[in-house]
Amino acid sequence: MDVDDFRLSIDTASSEVGRRSDAATEGSAFAAAVVPLRKIPPTYTNQRLSPDRLRQIDRVFFGPFFREKYGMGGDKALENGRIRYYGPVQPANSARELAGRRYVHEFNTVTGCTRGWHETLDRMGNVRQIRPERRDRTVRHYQFDSNGRYKGSW
Amino acid sequence: MEVDLQAVCRVFEDVLNGSMLREQADRWAYAVVQEEETGVVTYSPPFEREHIWAGVMYLYGINTMKAPNEYLHSNDDIREAMMAILCGGDDKLTGDDSASLRAAVATRITVLV
Repeated sequence: MDVDDFRLSIDTASSEVGRRSDAATEGSAFAAAVVPLRKIPPTYTNQRLSPDRLRQIDRVFFGPFFREKYGMGGDKALENGRIRYYGPVQPANSARELAGRRYVHEFNTVTGCTRGWHETLDRMGNVRQIRPERRDRTVRHYQFDSNGRYKGSW
Repeated sequence: MEVDLQAVCRVFEDVLNGSMLREQADRWAYAVVQEEETGVVTYSPPFEREHIWAGVMYLYGINTMKAPNEYLHSNDDIREAMMAILCGGDDKLTGDDSASLRAAVATRITVLV
């Protein structure tokens, strides 16, 4: 069931209440209409959302804001409540094994914090280098080999 | 903060003709991104918002290096990106104003080549 199905089920339940013959007064009908809302799966602050559920929520609430700006290349919901938005790969035609770079914007749905970095990808799609946006504004590149092992930084 | 298409175009031009360091272009774009996060950036003309933002996001990180003192992007990469971002796109939604604006940008890029 996705978010749209969920909305549809609420609308259906609400409209059925209005047609009940035992709905003696308008007030009780209104109260009954509220009942289906109690079926919404509760979300506790310490409850970990599955990536699929997180992605569903993102599609409705956060996504339209972040995806338009940062997620032209796609997005991914992580296990830890974070969503990453990927920009388009900007090609580097003379960089041999490196295909180009892209900006990645990460949104933490638990804290509301965001952070971003630039990734350099090889032609196999592996991340070979990242350049985070550091608080002290210094630029530092962190390199990885084709197997994802950290090589060093400069 | 207001960002217009001409300003983005000018930063690209300045990088390509060497009058602006890539590091400066990156920081200029970063400042726009930071302002955008607070929602106080206006785009001029408004119908070019997508192209302006794409240009800013290209400039942000334009100084990425593949090795110490060796930029990832060549000037040809940047020129091609400038052309694709600022002159490409779909005119059917934006009309003649957009087309003429992009034509003006394309003319300026041609001068750079």
